[in-house]
Order: sequence, then structure tokens, then C-alpha cells
Amino acid sequence: MERSITTTRSTRRWPTRVAPLLVLVSLLAAPAAGAREYLQLFVVEPYLELHTGPGRGYPVTQVVGRGEAVDVLMRRTDWFRVRTERGVEGWAFERDLARTTLADGTPFHINLGDRAAFASHRWETGFFGGAYEGATLISAYQALSLTDNLKIEVSGSQFIGNLSNGYLLDIGFSHVFVPTWRLSPFVTLGGGYEWVEPKATLAQPLSANNQAGYVGLGARFYLTRRLFLRGEFRGYEIFTNQNSNEVKNEWKLGFAFFY
Amino acid sequence: METRICVLLLSLVALGCSGCAVFHRHAKQESEGQAADRSAQASQESDTNAQPPSVVEPQVERRTVKVPAIRPSNVELGAYYGEISIQDFGAQPVAGLRLDYHITEDFFAEATYGRAKAGPTSFETLSNIQLLSDAERRFTYYNLSLGYNLLPGEVFIGRNLAMTSSFYLIGGLGSVKFAGDQNFTVNFGAGFRVLPTNWLALHIDVQDLVFRSDVTGVEELKNNLQATIGATVFF
Repeated sequence: MERSITTTRSTRRWPTRVAPLLVLVSLLAAPAAGAREYLQLFVVEPYLELHTGPGRGYPVTQVVGRGEAVDVLMRRTDWFRVRTERGVEGWAFERDLARTTLADGTPFHINLGDRAAFASHRWETGFFGGAYEGATLISAYQALSLTDNLKIEVSGSQFIGNLSNGYLLDIGFSHVFVPTWRLSPFVTLGGGYEWVEPKATLAQPLSANNQAGYVGLGARFYLTRRLFLRGEFRGYEIFTNQNSNEVKNEWKLGFAFFY
Repeated sequence: METRICVLLLSLVALGCSGCAVFHRHAKQESEGQAADRSAQASQESDTNAQPPSVVEPQVERRTVKVPAIRPSNVELGAYYGEISIQDFGAQPVAGLRLDYHITEDFFAEATYGRAKAGPTSFETLSNIQLLSDAERRFTYYNLSLGYNLLPGEVFIGRNLAMTSSFYLIGGLGSVKFAGDQNFTVNFGAGFRVLPTNWLALHIDVQDLVFRSDVTGVEELKNNLQATIGATVFF
């Protein structure tokens, strides 16, 4: 088959749903212009299998032969919705699609979410359970990798105790010493705010908003593709209006995923 | 005799002159040859230092191939509605929002926020005494959960319609605000998701929200079972 110069094939999609909410959502999901360019990939292996659904158990009902092209319509987790030149649509697995090429013959690269991606990725999201100075802690964080070692993190937490409840909002840096290790330690440093709401049953409830700084030490353990365990200990220095600052300890353990 | 001697002398003179000329020419040729060798060596050296001449000068600029991005569709956003049985306070309607991120084909993360309003306890109904104010009867919660697609599959309607589906398990942590207090909550349950299209999902979920509370006088674990139906859209 003779290859074209362009890497895309333009198709036109018209909204077919009539319910206003669904139309609105479909407009959000696809450009309002209706025309969309899709990535075009060429099969260089003997064939490319297409499944009926985005999962390994879904049956293979179509194959695309060597030299033929597919348009990549979208991606869901490890699976890609593709359309063949004959207009047949199906789901291709990422490891199979990683063996295709672009129109200029260069290999198509995909982030597979494996150990290599665990060492080098852009975003992380996770949530934890733990304790903050004796109170039960629920926490979530979002991190952006500046380098493979250095990340900037934002975390929000709620703590629920016998005497008081409250919230923490932090921003800081974390440094992973050896990102390629499956179990890799890291240190954190940052600051933020603490909001404390004493319970109404106390005789003298004193709400307090205080700035805080923290240092921490933790470890991350790669579980499976895109998913890892993360445990962390932090020591908080709460800058109060009183004569001395408070020191509070926090530990937490949870799941995180990268992408 | 004199003539012969004259001829001999003249011959020697002539030979001498021509011999100098030959020698001079030979010396000149030798010096020219050395100069040529030196120049040849110099040119060879200069050739080794210079870049090889290009045969064809490319006149066409290299094209930068623009590769369109692949649209990811891993985020699910939607709402749900159903019934929640708040322990000691009866079954009441519950509504909420849910945000899911599909990490792999097996795992997904979910954040939910739900609201309900507790009814009267049987004690309140019989004694006509209010244990909680209207504001304290608000039951609001959020959960951060991890889900596992245990049984992915397909459902069929008639001969021509097949929809992907999954039965999943889910569990996580969160907080319930009820009776004027925050309560650390553990949630766990199961659900079924079916996708009529690639961008729309319908859900049926059953979950238990468990927390420890002394709202009825004795501190105990409160089980709050909820059953909901919902719809989400993939982005």
C-alpha cells in the first residue's frame, strides 16, 4: 500500500443525541467544529488484533493486516479505540499499538505505565488514611514532576479527633532519591495552613487558623501498572499566636497513581 | 695538427657550456619537483582537514510532521440517586455526585459527595421529642475510594445490541457530617456499570458507610446502607 504524507485523516462527526444534557456533554467531549483529525498509524507486524471492548477478556473479532492504517479515535486506560480503512471500529491493546509506526515510518511511542514510567512521569494523584496528632486523617494529593527526582505537591487533608476537627492545605516539594527503585524513599518539605475547629462540647471553643511548615520522610512502592503504595511521616511546625509554636506529627498510608 | 687541437679545445668549451646548461636545467627540474612534492603534500594535508564536498545541496526544508494528540477518555463524571438507610433514623432519599478516574482496565479511583436528610427515630415518633434539629439531621458525606473491575463483560439486548459492562468492588475512606459532628467513615460495596455508548455509563451501586457515633446515647458502629442508580459521562 502506498503511504500518504499526512498523518491524519479528517472525518466529520455530527451529534446524534437529542437530549439537551447529552448534547452539551458531547459538545464538551468533542470540538464544537465537528471535524476532528485523528492520529493515523500503520501496522508493521503481521496483523493487529481488534477486541470488542477495552479489556483483555473481550473477544477478537477483527484483525488489521500489515501495511494497513488505522485511525486512533480515543484512549481508555490501556486500550485504544481505532477505526480501520474499511470503517470497522474496535479496541487495540497499547502493547500491540506500540509496534505500529507513524506515516513517516517512525515508531509510535506510548507511555505504558510500567516501571520505566514509574521512574519518569508527569502527574501523580493519591489518597491516604492516617493520623494527625492522634486524630484520624483523610488526605489526598496531586503532584507535578519537575524532574524525575523533584516534584511539587499540593495536598488537602481533613482530620477528625475527639476534641477537635480541622483541615490542612499544603504545598511543597518532594525529592525521590532513586526513582528507578521499586521501593524508593523520598523526603518532603513545604508549608501551608491549618484550620482547627474545636468540638462544640468543649467549654471554651477556640477556632484557629495558623500557618504551618513541615518536613517529611516517606517511601513509595510500585504495585502494578500506574498504581503504587505511598507511606509518609511528616513533622509539622504550627506557627501560632501564642508564646511558642506547636509541633504536630502526621503519618499516612495510601494508594496513588501516575499518568 | 693545430687544427685538430683547436677543434678539440672548441669542443671542450662547447661541451662545458652545454654541460652547465644541462646541470642547471636538471637542478631547476629537481627544485621544481621538490616544490611540487611539497605543494602536493600541503594540498593533501589541507584535503584531510577540509570537509568532503557535498554532492547534492538539499533545497527542500525538512517537514515537521504534526502528530495529533489522542483524546483520553478516562474520567467519568455524573450523579446518582437512591435510598440510604441511616441507622436508627430510617431510610431516606440520597443524591450525590461522583467523579471517577480509570487508572487501568482493572482499577479506578472514585470521589463521591452525597446528601440526605435523616428521618425521625422510633423513639422520637413515639415520644414526640426531637433528638436533633433540622440542621443536625442533614447527612452529608464524601468518600475517596479505590475500585476493582472484578467481572468485566458484555450485556446483550436483543440480537443486535451489545454493551460493555463491569461488576466492580469498591472501598475507601471518607467523612460523614451528621448530628452536628464529623465522623470518620469507611465505605465498601459493589456496583455494576454498563456502557450503552463509549461515553455514557449507567450505574447500580450498593454501599455501606460505616462510622462510630454516640448520637443515640451509646457509642457504636453505625451501618448506613445505600442503594443508588446513576449515570455518568466519560471525558
